[in-house]
Amino acid sequence: MLKKVPLEQSIGTSLAHDITEVRPGEFKGPAFRKGHRVCEEDICHLQRLGKNHLYVVDLEPDELHENEAAALLAAAIAGPGVVWQNDPREGKIEMFAESDGLVRIDTAALGALNMIDEVMCATVHTHTRIRKGELVAATRAIPLVVKREPIERATAIARSHGAIVEVLPLRPARVGLIITGDEVYHGRIRDGFEPILRRKLADLGATVQAVAFLPDDAERIGEKIREHLGAECDLLLLTGGMSVDPDDVTRHGIRLAGADEIHYGTAVLPGAMLLVAYVGAVPIIGVPACGLHHPATALDLVLPRILAGERIGKAQLAFLGHGGLCRQCPTCIFPRCAFGKTT
Amino acid sequence: MALLGCRLIGLDDPRRRDQIKKLIVYVEMDRCTADAVAFVTGAKLGRRSLKFMDYGIMAATFINLDGPRAFRVISTEEARDLAPLYAPGETDKSRQQIEAYRKMPECVLFRVQKVHVPISPYDLPGPTRSKVTCTRCGQVVRDGKEIIRDGEPLCKPCALGAYFQNPQAIGWPEMHRSPDDQAEACPERDPNAT
Repeated sequence: MLKKVPLEQSIGTSLAHDITEVRPGEFKGPAFRKGHRVCEEDICHLQRLGKNHLYVVDLEPDELHENEAAALLAAAIAGPGVVWQNDPREGKIEMFAESDGLVRIDTAALGALNMIDEVMCATVHTHTRIRKGELVAATRAIPLVVKREPIERATAIARSHGAIVEVLPLRPARVGLIITGDEVYHGRIRDGFEPILRRKLADLGATVQAVAFLPDDAERIGEKIREHLGAECDLLLLTGGMSVDPDDVTRHGIRLAGADEIHYGTAVLPGAMLLVAYVGAVPIIGVPACGLHHPATALDLVLPRILAGERIGKAQLAFLGHGGLCRQCPTCIFPRCAFGKTT
Repeated sequence: MALLGCRLIGLDDPRRRDQIKKLIVYVEMDRCTADAVAFVTGAKLGRRSLKFMDYGIMAATFINLDGPRAFRVISTEEARDLAPLYAPGETDKSRQQIEAYRKMPECVLFRVQKVHVPISPYDLPGPTRSKVTCTRCGQVVRDGKEIIRDGEPLCKPCALGAYFQNPQAIGWPEMHRSPDDQAEACPERDPNAT
């Protein structure tokens, strides 16, 4: 229960909640923290913040203070790879990535939780590549005092789904690169793919274990794939020959290598001609030519998910369509943009 | 709903003979949910284990007479809105709901209240507790459902009015007819005729 006390009578009382101060362009945060004992010198400051009354909280047995509610919510929402501290600020608890990885949000559970009145949780998009210490989610109860029932319901929903927010580690894959194309193999042009892919893979914590250059020859491509698999590569990237020309035989080579699942085509631009295949449990990615000149393509959406242990199939590629259109900004800020952010 | 309700009151197989006598279910709507609850639990109006409260609310209360434990299980309205999130790959709305409801945990599908349900002995399963005759129309009224007016028992239609209007007794020839005979055997009656 909340009791309103005129400011001039509040000296000696403890603040029931953080009091936020906003100085445009300069500061936004708590000017006073919950529990602060109001003294005479605070009165002018509080008046400047527009306060003429303060709340005194007297909780009923079935009520929770917003800080306690936020802690209960965070404990249920945060899954593996997510850390938080029980130090709510302005009633809100923020959750952070414990290490580099890929954010996975249970969007259905998040929706169910947010359908409950008086609670909220906001997250970054699912499948966002995240660095250690970066913010991934935040939660709070909306009112200062909230009934236990909606909080217990929200935590039950989160727990019944395991958790709502996870940061999945990316496995340190041993990657085999196969760069195909007569023009590169015969030295007519210089390959541009290897440095690009090495950089992207290194950024994701993967190492390049083997590199091969091959002509547009399906048999030899198939043989090289098997050779890389025998050399314990646990992820293969193939470039070249992914398009529609008669010389584009890489897909055929992947099939000859024994791929038992091949998905060619994604609902992403750039990157519609990306291929994902599997030989047993080992993923093979056919990288389309756009990867040479676009900073972010379908590869950048699919590769982290594969390294996070997700098996990419037809549905996963199809569902990339919503948000899968790159806006080709003059300065690319991917992944801090909407590209690849699906629901 | 029925499975959750029965589990909450400690009945794992409510249709089993030893459990069925312990169960009373109040349904609060006359929609498919009511039939589903009746089917799953085996509760029946005629057995007096199924009670209908015409609230128009997607809810049912499950009572274990041995307990007595009672829980009111209410379908959440948000479950319908959440169906696209739980079954995004299904575009047909009806199939999407079915698939989503299968995936949703109970805490998304339902709210539960622990409740106390005072049940009159006259409403319990078992033999008829009492019979009295309405002093106005002569109808026999069972199980204490009569209304006492000026010390006289009346049936509810006589005391409070009924859901039907203008009751007019018909004779055997009319009772014996079939719909096919309608034209010749049952001329239209004027309800206001005396």
